[in-house]
Amino acid sequence: MSLLSPWLLLGLGALAIPVLVHLMHRERKDVVFFPSLMFLERIPYQAVRRQRIRHWLLLVLRCLAVVLLVLAFARPFLARAGASAVAGSGRARDIVILLDRSYSMDYGDRWARAVAAARHVVTGMSGGDRAAVVYFAGTASAASPLTGDKAVLVSAIDSVHPTAGTTRYGAALRLAGQILGDTARPRREVVLISDAQRTGWAGRRMPRLSAGATLTQIDVGDSATADVAITGVDVRHDAGGDRAQVVVAARLANRSADSVARRAVTLEVNGRQVQTRSVGLSANGTATVTFDAMRIPAGASRGVVRTGADALRRDNAWYFTLGRARSLPVLLVESPDAPKAEDLYISHALDIGDRPSFRVSEVRTTGLNAAALRDAALLILNDAPLPHGEAGRRLLAFVKGGGGLLVVLGGRSRPDDWPASASELLPHPSAPIDRLADHGAMLGFLDRSHPVFEPFDAPRSGDFSAARFFRYWNMSPGAADRQLARFDDGHVALLERRVGAGRVLVLTSALDGVWNDLPVQPVFLPLLQQAATYAAAYTPDRPWVTVGEAVRTDSSAGPAVAITPSGAHRRLGRGRGGATLEFAEQGFYEIRQSGGAHDSTRTVAVNVDLAESDLTRLDSQLFATAVAPSGGPRAHADALAQLTPADLERRQSVWWYLLVAALLLMGAETVVANRLSRTAR
Amino acid sequence: MAEWRGGRREQAMEPDGGTSGAAAAPAAFLDPVVLSRIGNLELLARTVVEGFINGLHHSPHLGMSLDFAEHRAYMPGDDTRRIDWRLYARTDRFYIKEFEADTNTNFSVLLDVSASMRYGSGPVSKLDYARFLAACLAYFSHGQRDRVGLVTFDADIVEVVPPSAKHLSAVLTCLARARAERAGQLEAPLRKLAEHFRRRSMILLMSDLYAEPDIVLDALRHLRQRGNDVMVIHLLDPAELEFPFDGPGTFEDVETHERRPIVPEYLREPYRALIRAHVAELGRRLGEQGMDYAMFDTSWPLDVALFDFLSKRQRRGRVR
Repeated sequence: MSLLSPWLLLGLGALAIPVLVHLMHRERKDVVFFPSLMFLERIPYQAVRRQRIRHWLLLVLRCLAVVLLVLAFARPFLARAGASAVAGSGRARDIVILLDRSYSMDYGDRWARAVAAARHVVTGMSGGDRAAVVYFAGTASAASPLTGDKAVLVSAIDSVHPTAGTTRYGAALRLAGQILGDTARPRREVVLISDAQRTGWAGRRMPRLSAGATLTQIDVGDSATADVAITGVDVRHDAGGDRAQVVVAARLANRSADSVARRAVTLEVNGRQVQTRSVGLSANGTATVTFDAMRIPAGASRGVVRTGADALRRDNAWYFTLGRARSLPVLLVESPDAPKAEDLYISHALDIGDRPSFRVSEVRTTGLNAAALRDAALLILNDAPLPHGEAGRRLLAFVKGGGGLLVVLGGRSRPDDWPASASELLPHPSAPIDRLADHGAMLGFLDRSHPVFEPFDAPRSGDFSAARFFRYWNMSPGAADRQLARFDDGHVALLERRVGAGRVLVLTSALDGVWNDLPVQPVFLPLLQQAATYAAAYTPDRPWVTVGEAVRTDSSAGPAVAITPSGAHRRLGRGRGGATLEFAEQGFYEIRQSGGAHDSTRTVAVNVDLAESDLTRLDSQLFATAVAPSGGPRAHADALAQLTPADLERRQSVWWYLLVAALLLMGAETVVANRLSRTAR
Repeated sequence: MAEWRGGRREQAMEPDGGTSGAAAAPAAFLDPVVLSRIGNLELLARTVVEGFINGLHHSPHLGMSLDFAEHRAYMPGDDTRRIDWRLYARTDRFYIKEFEADTNTNFSVLLDVSASMRYGSGPVSKLDYARFLAACLAYFSHGQRDRVGLVTFDADIVEVVPPSAKHLSAVLTCLARARAERAGQLEAPLRKLAEHFRRRSMILLMSDLYAEPDIVLDALRHLRQRGNDVMVIHLLDPAELEFPFDGPGTFEDVETHERRPIVPEYLREPYRALIRAHVAELGRRLGEQGMDYAMFDTSWPLDVALFDFLSKRQRRGRVR
């Protein structure tokens, strides 16, 4: 134990104060006014006399508080902790070389310079030094453990190449911290070799280096860069005519201070150049190139939009898949006694849908057979009773298996005639409510958080107040049912029930134009199309994904093999929920899966994350400050060896604990003194 | 002359200042600290009297009034006008009707407003407490159609409100106005007052009685000798009774401004013994002279103190 300010121990002389306080009576400065001294004067006056020490506990508390206060001000610290850690250690270093291999390192000759810098660090190692090579992009991996073998290190450096990933400094610093945290060497260094991109900065979430570690930044970035990137592709399907056509438009961005006069942009489909356009880009400007409509063959096609070569090549191509638009098969079920034009509003509303398009088949309840259900993704029971017998069981199995069911209740629904199994699909309606007398009901409540109302998310969008409902069925929802809309009298208008893997939506008023005027309202078309896609659990195909995303294979099918853009074959295991494939390369992945119902081949287009093509640089000083060690509890011997007594004392902060203890003692002294004072009275 | 009859006894007050039931007093009692928040003395008096004292007080004298009391057999010499002729018609015997008598006496409060009465270790000073007591008793007497009056004094008479049936508001105003500022004395002002009360009255002295018992008795003897019913309420603050001070210091007499260094720890017990002896002596000597005495601790609930005092008077009245 040493003291930073030992002369302050003179303050221990203050110990005399509590002793004197206990020995002597202090006379109050304030005069006590008393009604009469008549009786006090009769008592013989006793002069102040020497007293024995009373209240020993109080005296000890006060003395201890004084001692702790004086010690706190003398700033004690333990010098041995630092010395013992230093003992036995030399000046050998442990170095972690962090090598950025994001695709921005492919710019110009950055990678070559980075490799040279890494090699230079290795060759600069002295006798006892050890180093580890960590390469990082979105994630970080150690290419070699801490070793003093320079050949191993150079080999590890040479085995690494830039990938399609993005820069994330945090992952690399965490791994470096783990590697250095396991060592007992006093000198520890982190060498970061990177192009210092700002996009890799994670702000406050950046991990700090452990105490004693130093950071050396080797910046291989360029002060001025020029890059034209394809930032996206829009594929619009044109369903007109006999054969499906698509129109492809590509967006380009110029990320430099110089304009680009002409730049060729080429569209390739299935490896063949289809069209080429030329475009000019202003400084830091963007442009859109639209190619002519073209017919596409059946099945999935591979499309690529490319632009001319520049220093950063990975953002010069955009990969996507092309295919005929997948339509949603809908089975519209009518009552046997329904007139022909009963489904006019529903069928017309679905016919004109294009994202997705709906393929509507109509059938009467009597014709609801297995073949009709097999191809359907959604069944709309329009003003028709729920079928009995085998048809009813098929319908229930269809919904439980993941099929969608939209039930529109009307005059021909006849709930009294429903089979018992109908209660699994939807609540039983009790009686129709007639609101003709009061000019029809309005929708009083809409659960706009539900996906069915997603098209009406925008402010002042979706005016449902104009719709009037003259008749509707009274229905009591179950506890698990979600009410999506209610009439102004509180009765349910639209509810959802999950049955097995399927979704059931129930509209309690018919869409025939008689029970309500909803079909002639502007909200009807988007509402019905959204309700249909939601009930059918339709998800549109994504024409591309980004590097770093993952896909899960079908667990019910057989083993899968993925062929990467570089041509490598990767076997995917058969986990319980299917195997996961993370896309790490730019280009087309082909996933082949055998077994199950039938073999399948799936093509996935993968593009790089465009954030990485933003080559704006990060201030190295700011970075160094942000990741500088914060002085954690595990103070390192190297740092300790160089610390002055003032630094040691500041790190240990023993005075703080002493001060808190002194304050606690003073609190205890107050309590004891008050108690003694009360008992004295 | 009216007499008060107390009802319950929640707290025993002895001349030596001890209490037997103070600690167990219910919280519903009228705490002087709470009452001190009522600025209006009449409202305060009404709160105390109508809420706690009314209904316990009856006149023991029978005479002419509208309130029938009882029948008794006719005795020779009785006023024949008081014979109940209807009863005679039914029973063929003479009965006299007796009624509750109207009381009509003078009730005067002599309030000591010397500087020592200003003292209070808590929020309520002795003067405040005396003010509350006097207001309650004046209001109470006024309700009995007694004439109420007030005299405030220190070394001399400060203010006089002569007893009158119409002087309640004047009494309350004078009470509210009273200030304890100057040094006090008992003998001179009370001797003057003995001349003032020409008609036999009920006289209530409220003071902290910082005087020798002989002086107190001499001062009151003149009043008593003139046939007045004299009651003495001795008001003391809890700090005057217990002397709870801690740590040595200089004590100053608020009236004489004399200072004295005091070590309370050593003087506490002798002081307590002296004040207890003083209270006991006063109680004994005043009782011997036929005067009612009670010591009130200003921390006691007001209604409890009043009940106790009144019930004690009633007991003594029976003995006398």
